[in-house]
Amino acid sequence: MKTWLRGFWAIFEKDIKLELRARYAINMLLLFALGALVVMAFAVGPTPLSARVQAALLWTVLLFAAAVGLGRAFISEEERGTILLLQLNLRPGAVYAGKLLVNFVLLLALNIVAVGAFAVLLRVQVAWPGLLALTLLLGSVGLAGATTLLSALIARAAGGRGALLPVLLFPVLVPLLLSAVEATRSALLVAEGWATAADELLTLTGFGGAVITAAVLLFDYIWLD
Amino acid sequence: MAETGQILNLRRYRQLRNAVVVWLTLVVLGAFLLRIPRIHILEHTARNLYFHVPMWFTLMAAALVSAYHSLRYLQSGDPIRDLRAREAARVGIFFGLLGLATGIVWARFTWYLGTSLWWNFDPKQSFVVIQLLIYGAYFVLRSAVEDPEKRGRVAAVYNLFAVVTMPFLLYVLPRQMESLHPGAEGSPAFSDITHPIMRLVFYPAVIGFIGLFWVLYTQRVRLALLEQRVEMLQATMLEAKS
Repeated sequence: MKTWLRGFWAIFEKDIKLELRARYAINMLLLFALGALVVMAFAVGPTPLSARVQAALLWTVLLFAAAVGLGRAFISEEERGTILLLQLNLRPGAVYAGKLLVNFVLLLALNIVAVGAFAVLLRVQVAWPGLLALTLLLGSVGLAGATTLLSALIARAAGGRGALLPVLLFPVLVPLLLSAVEATRSALLVAEGWATAADELLTLTGFGGAVITAAVLLFDYIWLD
Repeated sequence: MAETGQILNLRRYRQLRNAVVVWLTLVVLGAFLLRIPRIHILEHTARNLYFHVPMWFTLMAAALVSAYHSLRYLQSGDPIRDLRAREAARVGIFFGLLGLATGIVWARFTWYLGTSLWWNFDPKQSFVVIQLLIYGAYFVLRSAVEDPEKRGRVAAVYNLFAVVTMPFLLYVLPRQMESLHPGAEGSPAFSDITHPIMRLVFYPAVIGFIGLFWVLYTQRVRLALLEQRVEMLQATMLEAKS
């Protein structure tokens, strides 16, 4: 257990350090999301949107940004040739957990920036900020869990073909998208709130847990040759 | 491979195939010839029940078979498991598309009569579309990997990962979309509204179409095995020449 934790933390620390040095993934993620939001805001113009449409736009941008920006976690290891070292020294579960936490932290940064820009550009009124924050948090868990496994799968097998990740990711994430949009909609409307979103939050929690459990079990098969 | 001999048991295959052919012929005859109660708007289109609904059962059966063989592939690494998972998914797509087509056309002229809607986000339709998208992604993934052993492993992992998310979809979709399908909230369950005559044809139809799936699926598995063997023979012949 101790070695597992140490390995997990070492992966996390190393990736965050590398990220802070180059700032490639985070910059790409943020700029992609900002660019997409600006495009969407300009396309919509000053027309007022319903809460449902606003929630749908926000989550579409988050999903696309994650699919484009989070695919690098394992490809960089392949490129640097460090994958063998990790295979020899660490348990697969520790590698997965470390990368998962890195992706989760990146997604949290993305959420903060994207929601801020979204509120300004699309003139969103958030009635229940706590509910919105919890929805984003729980949604990010599931999103990070699925993206980490599938990006490992693509990096290990298909040599990191870029467009493959969205193709694999989107159908799997439909349940997450639907409940997250519904919960976000409740967070935007004064008349709704925690009581109406309870089931969606529960679904998001369950989805995150199931995805991560399945990913930990399946990760062994794609990590080890 | 111990299993190859069993797969090539042609006698058993032929017997089962003939049984399925006879059975399905009887089902189709029954489906078109037996009298059914005439209900306003539905009229004779109610016979679609015999074809549309069994497609779903067959798609689910195919998905189960495919996931089971993916799991076994990860455990054993036997190439035949990968072939079986692939072919079950492929035949499953075929039945899924047929079910979707029969459902959309039928719903347009019964449920959505007068609204000119082709698509109204029915949970069951949406579920099938996502299932088909997943299988589409599964085949795209397969075509992206060259090494057969790696391809099998990666595809099996994706297949199983998708299966894990399915129950959530089944739970989430009906909460957000209204359904006119029998058994959903507000409409009686299938067995309450169905005339006994229709049940007499419907249940055999389900068995018949699952049997048809089995025939097509085993046929494709054997074809894939033979193709593999031909490739191997050609490779050895080329080597012997040079």
